[in-house]
Amino acid sequence: MWFLKNLASGALCAMAMLAVSPSHAQQAAEVQVTYSRGQFQPGEVRAPADTPITFRVKNLDAKAMEFESKSLRVEKVVAANSEGVINVRALKPGRYEFYDDFNEKARGALTVQ
Amino acid sequence: MQVGIRSERGHSIGLCAIALLVCCSGAARADDASAWRDIETKYIFGFTTGSGIGLEGEKEFTVDTIARFGKRDGHYAATETKYEFEFTPTQFIQVEFGALGSTHNMGGVTALDDRSQVAPSGAFAELRYLAIERTSNNPLSVTLAVEPTVRRIDETSGERVRNFEFETTVNADLELVKNRLFAGFNLLYEPEVTQTTIGDTQREAKFGGSAALSLRIASNVVLGGEVWYLRHYDAANLTAFTGDAVMLGPTLYIQFTPKMFMTAAWNTQVWGREVGNPVSLNLAEFQRNRAKLKFAWEF
Repeated sequence: MWFLKNLASGALCAMAMLAVSPSHAQQAAEVQVTYSRGQFQPGEVRAPADTPITFRVKNLDAKAMEFESKSLRVEKVVAANSEGVINVRALKPGRYEFYDDFNEKARGALTVQ
Repeated sequence: MQVGIRSERGHSIGLCAIALLVCCSGAARADDASAWRDIETKYIFGFTTGSGIGLEGEKEFTVDTIARFGKRDGHYAATETKYEFEFTPTQFIQVEFGALGSTHNMGGVTALDDRSQVAPSGAFAELRYLAIERTSNNPLSVTLAVEPTVRRIDETSGERVRNFEFETTVNADLELVKNRLFAGFNLLYEPEVTQTTIGDTQREAKFGGSAALSLRIASNVVLGGEVWYLRHYDAANLTAFTGDAVMLGPTLYIQFTPKMFMTAAWNTQVWGREVGNPVSLNLAEFQRNRAKLKFAWEF
C-alpha cells in the first residue's frame, strides 16, 4: 500500500510542478481580432514565439460567437457587441488555427515566429 | 458443406469490408482535409487514449461503458460504466472524476460464482498532464495520466470487495498526415490491491501497451484499428508474471455536433497464454472480447 501511496503523491507533485510554467511571469504580446459579418478581421495574425499571448476578440455582430482553437487549447463565448479576452500560453513557432464554433465558415490563423 | 458456406460468408464479409474501406478512402480523398478543423485526438483510437486534454475552460459529461465477454467455459458478460465529469482548468491539465456502475451476468464459469447483478461499484478520478504538445512543426503529442479508482464490486467476479487501483498511462499520438491520419500509442501500468470479504488481500498489476492507427474519412468520422499487448502479474511490482494476451480490433469515432460525439471499439483476444496452463488464449486474467461505447457532451 505504501508503494501506491508514494507513487500517487509523487505523480501529483510532479504534475503540479510541471503545471507552473515560467512563461506566466513574462509580459504578454497582445493580438487584436475583430469579428464582423461572420468573419475574422484580419484572418491572419502574427505573434512572437516563447511569449504569452493575449487575444482581444471584438465581436461586432449582433449575435454571440465562440472563439475556439484546438491547437491553442482555448475557447470563449464572446457576447454580441462586446469584447472577449483570451490568455494563451507562450507558444512555439508554428501556425495555429482558430475559428468561431458557432459558424463553420469563420476561420483565422495565428502564425508564431 | 457448412464449412464451405461459412467460408463463403467469411469471404463475402471480407469483400464487403474491403469495399467499404475503398469507398471510405475514396470519400476521404474527395474531401479536402485542409478545410477541416483540427480534431481532438483523445477519443479517436478506441481503447487507446490519445493525448488530447481538451480546451481551457471546457467541461464535458461522458457516459463510458466497457463490456467484457467470454471466459474459458460457461457464459460471461460484465460491464463497467463511468459517469464522468471532466474539465480543463489550464492549457496543460485536465481533471476527470465520476462514479462507476457495473453489471455482471455469468454462469458455469470455472472459479467464478454464477451471478446476475447490477450495482453502483465505485468512484474514480483522473489527472492528465500534457507533457509534449503538437505544433505545426512537431507532429508528436504526449500526455501523462494517473487514475486512482476505488471499487466495492470486483470488476471480474462481481463479488463484494474493497479494491484500490492506480492506473498510470503515457498517451502519445502522431499526426502522420495533416488532419487525416493519426497513430496512437499507450503505455500502461496498473497496480491494484483487493481485499475480499473474508479478509484476504490480493495484489496484482497489469502492464502493457498499445498501438493504433486512425483515418479521418470525413470531417466528423474517424475509422481505425488498434492492437493491445497486456501482461498480468500477481504482484504490484511486476515480479510474479501469470500470463499475457494480445487484443486486436476496429475503432470508430463520430462527431454528431460540435459539442457531442461518440466513440466505439471492439477488441478480440487473438493470442494469449496462461503460465502453467498449456491452453490457447489467456481467459483467466483477460476476456475473449471487449467492447467500448462512449458518448460525450461538451458544454
